[in-house]
Amino acid sequence: MSLVDVLNVTKEYANGDETIRPLDGVSLSIHEGDYVSLMGASGSGKSTLLNLIAGIDQVASGEIVVAGTDITKLSRGKLADWRAAHIGYVFQTHNLIPVLTAYENVELPLLLLPMSAAERRKRVEIALEAVDLTPRASHYPRQMSGGQEQRVGIARAIVASPTIIVADEPTGSLDDETTEQILSLLSRVNDELGMTLLMVTHDADAGARARRQVRLERGRLMENGKETKATTLRTA
Amino acid sequence: MLGKRLLPWDYGVRNLFRRPTRSALTFGGLTIVVLLVLVVVGFIRGLEKSLTATGSPDVVLVYSLSSAADIENSSIPGRTAALLSASVDGIRRTHGVECTSPELYLGTRVATASLEQPGMGVVRGVTTSAPLVRDRVQLVEGSWPESGQVMVGRLAHSKLGASEKDLVVGQQVEFDGKTWTISGRFTAAGSAFESEIWAPLADLQTTLKRQDLSLVAAKMDSPDRVADVDIFCRERVDLELKAVAESAYYASLQKHYKPVRMLGWVVVALVAGSGVFAGLNTMYGAVAGRIRELATLQAIGYRRRAILLTLVQEATLLACAGALAACVIGLLLVDGLAVRFTMGAFMLRVDSVGIAVACGVAALLGVAGALPPAAKAMRLPVVEAIKAI
Repeated sequence: MSLVDVLNVTKEYANGDETIRPLDGVSLSIHEGDYVSLMGASGSGKSTLLNLIAGIDQVASGEIVVAGTDITKLSRGKLADWRAAHIGYVFQTHNLIPVLTAYENVELPLLLLPMSAAERRKRVEIALEAVDLTPRASHYPRQMSGGQEQRVGIARAIVASPTIIVADEPTGSLDDETTEQILSLLSRVNDELGMTLLMVTHDADAGARARRQVRLERGRLMENGKETKATTLRTA
Repeated sequence: MLGKRLLPWDYGVRNLFRRPTRSALTFGGLTIVVLLVLVVVGFIRGLEKSLTATGSPDVVLVYSLSSAADIENSSIPGRTAALLSASVDGIRRTHGVECTSPELYLGTRVATASLEQPGMGVVRGVTTSAPLVRDRVQLVEGSWPESGQVMVGRLAHSKLGASEKDLVVGQQVEFDGKTWTISGRFTAAGSAFESEIWAPLADLQTTLKRQDLSLVAAKMDSPDRVADVDIFCRERVDLELKAVAESAYYASLQKHYKPVRMLGWVVVALVAGSGVFAGLNTMYGAVAGRIRELATLQAIGYRRRAILLTLVQEATLLACAGALAACVIGLLLVDGLAVRFTMGAFMLRVDSVGIAVACGVAALLGVAGALPPAAKAMRLPVVEAIKAI
């Protein structure tokens, strides 16, 4: 059974008098434990699809079912609650909160979930250890390198054990060596922690690290030369 | 449940130190705004208290019908006090002495040691029975004035525009062609008496070559007995007297100052309004630089309400810190400052009401200054805001 079903999703927006449709009836299924890379040319709509799955953008039509919930039907407030429980977001530019330490940044998503302070502390420590940043726990983002910041970003994304981790060009602003470190880390997150990953990238080498590679071409999703389809056709 | 979904308190506090110069400037601006509010409220409260504390409901003032409710213009026969005692029941007696106070009241130029030009002062000629009627008057230094002496209220120097040193015990003042030595100083619980100079009635009458009085003040057994004096005055039309409860007399003066008080509240509103604009300017700047950060918080799962609350928290914290500083400055430098007005002088009062108004204004500045920029930032779609530079 699939974890994420994108069902016949269309996304369009107006650009002056012109209507742009980056996604035109696309479908895709992501299974538990998958590591999917989503590639395509600039402006092809790959980040748009990622943001739709992450619940921070809205479809024009179609359904997106994540762990049995059609998130296109959720109100803005419910969608925020849903994101807190189900989505771990890794941003291209890290997007850490500058006035919070690495520890506090990682702790942020947990403050939204019902758990004790002791449980929170344990989870943050495990997440920081997973990204090898325990000694940097009390450092502020300005005191860390870009690679370290991104590792904190990954720790923040995995700390709440979300249903799926979405990463939007996670290596887009990093040098080659740091890119390699981050890609290895993401592979470990998938292999060792068993977390489901969807990564948007324009870098073919980075995309090749994923188990599945999906390309977005002219509004259509292609995998292994064929248009992708959803395996589940009905929402829960 | 709501508490679990709010951003950490520290997040809002630390954001204030993110741009220390901007926060410091805003803090300074808000402190000045709240201090101005405190001063204006202190002025209004001081004026109100001075007039309210002066009037007592069981004291009746008897003065001439033709004086147009201004005791300074009043002239009544010197025997009025005796007539009242003989004709009206219900005048209080204390230790066997009837509580009536014949008085001569006038505004006159008073010269002191350091004043280049004599200042306009208020002089009251009294007898030793005056404190029986004006029971809030307390001699705090020196002694009751003998012939050629006066005692001064603690704000008399403010009314004259003179230095406090000019009116210490032993100093001399000059008015109506005579030099008077200060024998004592008195307080009167913040009432208008505190700006007066009291001289022995007989001495003052001799100096002024007057046999008459301005008024007789009588303390009644109860406020209800004031009506008895009024009936007496109405029956004895030949005396051309009028009786008014002292509290009613000063209440009518309060009405006279109502436009001043209203103007004060308008100034409070205008100053608070200008403070809101200062707060808005700061928060627009603060929010504009954090669009992506706020979108990130939304992407993580924080509701817009939680983010809005943290922005309001930041602005309100800054405003409250400004209010605290303003209250400390107000209590140290403003409270007790003397202000002259036509009736005498009063003290600016930084009291609980003033502090409550100042804190209310500060809270308003925080909330009103933060909400529009926060709401503007929250209206941006998350996917757009997350790309903001």
